[in-house]
Amino acid sequence: MSSTGAGYDLSATTFSPDGKIFQVEYATKAVENSGTAMGVRCKDGVLLAVEKLLISKMLVAGSNRRVHGVSKHVGMAVAGLSADARQIVYRGRDEVAGYIENYGSQMPPSMLADRLAQYVHYFTLHGSLRPFGASVLVAGYDVELKKHELYVVEPSGVMYRYFGAAVGKGRQAAKTEMEKLKFDDMTCKEAMKQVCKILHVLHDEAKDKPFELEMSWVCEESGWKYQAVPQAQVKEAEEWAKESIESDEMDDDED
Amino acid sequence: MDIATQQEYPGLKDGEISTGTTIMAVQYDGGVIMGADSRTSTGTYVANRVSDKITSLHDHIYACRSGSAADTQAITDYVRYFLASHSVELGRLPLVKTAAKMARGLCYNNKDRLLAGMIIAGWDPVDGGTVYEIPLGGTMMKQKFAIGGSGSTYIYGHVDAAFKENMTKEEAQQFVRKAISHAMARDGSSGGVIRMVVIDKTGVSCEYIPGDQLPFGP
Amino acid sequence: MSELSNVAGAGQSVPADLREEVLSASTTNAGGGGFDFENHHRNARIAAELAKSGKEGTLPRAKLTGTTICGCIYKGGVVLGADTRATGGTEVVDKNCEKIHYLAPNIYCCGAGTAADTEKTTEMISGQLDLLRLSTGTQSRVVTACTMLKRMLFRYQGYVSAALVLGGVDVTGPHLYNIYPHGSSDKLPYLTMGSGSLAAMSVFETGFKEDMEEAEAVELVKQAIMAGVFNDLGSGSNVDVTVIRPGGETAIFRGLEKPNEVSELRKTVERPAAIKVPKGATEILASKFQPLSSLVTVEDAPQPMEI
Repeated sequence: MSSTGAGYDLSATTFSPDGKIFQVEYATKAVENSGTAMGVRCKDGVLLAVEKLLISKMLVAGSNRRVHGVSKHVGMAVAGLSADARQIVYRGRDEVAGYIENYGSQMPPSMLADRLAQYVHYFTLHGSLRPFGASVLVAGYDVELKKHELYVVEPSGVMYRYFGAAVGKGRQAAKTEMEKLKFDDMTCKEAMKQVCKILHVLHDEAKDKPFELEMSWVCEESGWKYQAVPQAQVKEAEEWAKESIESDEMDDDED
Repeated sequence: MDIATQQEYPGLKDGEISTGTTIMAVQYDGGVIMGADSRTSTGTYVANRVSDKITSLHDHIYACRSGSAADTQAITDYVRYFLASHSVELGRLPLVKTAAKMARGLCYNNKDRLLAGMIIAGWDPVDGGTVYEIPLGGTMMKQKFAIGGSGSTYIYGHVDAAFKENMTKEEAQQFVRKAISHAMARDGSSGGVIRMVVIDKTGVSCEYIPGDQLPFGP
Repeated sequence: MSELSNVAGAGQSVPADLREEVLSASTTNAGGGGFDFENHHRNARIAAELAKSGKEGTLPRAKLTGTTICGCIYKGGVVLGADTRATGGTEVVDKNCEKIHYLAPNIYCCGAGTAADTEKTTEMISGQLDLLRLSTGTQSRVVTACTMLKRMLFRYQGYVSAALVLGGVDVTGPHLYNIYPHGSSDKLPYLTMGSGSLAAMSVFETGFKEDMEEAEAVELVKQAIMAGVFNDLGSGSNVDVTVIRPGGETAIFRGLEKPNEVSELRKTVERPAAIKVPKGATEILASKFQPLSSLVTVEDAPQPMEI
């Protein structure tokens, strides 16, 4: 099968003869080129981490953020075209604000993820629209059920609930690493070190652009509020990760 | 629901059915109790002497209606519909607060067209037994207990004196019975029987006290 | 009837915003009938002009059903009753009109208020119920009819003056509803409506029993209507009764009781000969006959081409 052309990739409204929508697959490719974003559900909260690749050395640190707050208890990490992702984040903010206005309580993360998936899916149904070249990780706390959850919304408009998820360039390797660890028994603080290590291991210093590590969480420590992980703690985790990687390499050299 | 002339209630259209009424709801230890008289009137004629002004909105959420019968029935119909679809999407029991917000939205946005004073109460797994009052302008107030309708003006002093927090179910029932029977005795537009709805985590039970067995008579 | 219904609102002033709403609502019914308040302002102006010239009251009045209607539930079924007087102002404009309207084979509805409004309202809902039955393949339910009626009346904010007693039997049993012009409803085992409702209610309050037999219920409804016919100025003439039996089967008793029958009395009155015009009393002065064939030319019909 020729995966390009043949006229079936011009619009998201046309299926290819073997049942694919090429526009959606291309959108997925756009996400795969992006810096890795990870999310893990720990025993005391959900942690989001993004490897934000820097296009220039002149960029101000902390600009072009890839993790965003959506409401008091919900945040998102994004991968893919950040302009596309921004639309999804804004939509998320509108959804939660509208929910509070109409129903008087915090929107459950499950419903937010579902609404976002509906929104993203809509863009795969019309000839005049193009799908979003972005995936989002949704970390949230359900105030009524007292449960914390992690969701991923993909460009096709599907939504999954995960224990641990990764999207972007290093997703395959990240998933393999994540499967080895038991995040469900870890606290967010413990998981933070491991996640840092995974992102650093996956990052190829030689080939990849330099990156900034962005982390945020919704956890017991933050009073189940969504917030950025304090810089000191990020730094601490990164230092631990680098040391750990070095000692692993030394162990390898000794073998 | 009571006899209301156009002069007394400028919002009521000529010949419109009015719920000149005594309604109330009380939070007690474990749930809520709602109560109402059963009189509905047009002008000076009692159009229905056994009406039910405590309307179901969802499994554990009810509304007491006062004002125009047509307006309050239309509002509760809308809220019942919205709440049903909301709880299906949510996959769990809706909050009393949510029901009250919906009713508030309708009352506030259409305030120049509606004559509706309502009390929304019920039980939900998050906030437990809850009472909300939505008076004429469409504001929404959380209360430990609420009274409403034309008959309520006669019993403000009584309920303020008699209300206690964390009453038992029996105490709360007694509180409602006594308050409404006194209002019915003084308010010409309230009368008939007392209807009560008790809502707690186990569910809903309805009861009524016949007009000749009220704890206080006219 | 439509002429009369247009004048119906003349006495009231419809708020501008509602009028807009109602007008836009009526356009959605375009072709399918419905209510139209287009002539309201014209009528109001005519009334004002007449008032200025001191000729107030010459404007035609809507046909009102100053009425007694009622219904009651008996063992498994429903009995509906109505008088048959229609009035325009203080004048009786119809001595034997029908006030029990068909909604569905198992549901009937008594109407009080403006005759045109009750007629049109029940007709429209009947049509909707018919379509609903065809699409669902099930019997109509009384609650459905009640909900449709109250929604429509609520939308028109009381300007469609139809006060209804709705009764019927469906799979869930017998039901009886009161629906007021503003769109509120009550559900009761016995009820009355219209200007004679007070008289009729007094009969029900003394005579109603639960689980009556059909004959007993029909008699009670008849007595209730008679109370209206004799004691209310707006009600009169005959008693119509419709029974909807446990299975949904209906029996219509048009003119079940005719306490005001006057035809016998009329026959005894000698009419003056002047109003009995004999045949040929009109004199023919001239006549002329012209055959049609002299005015037209007849051509051969076209023939098919030979192939």
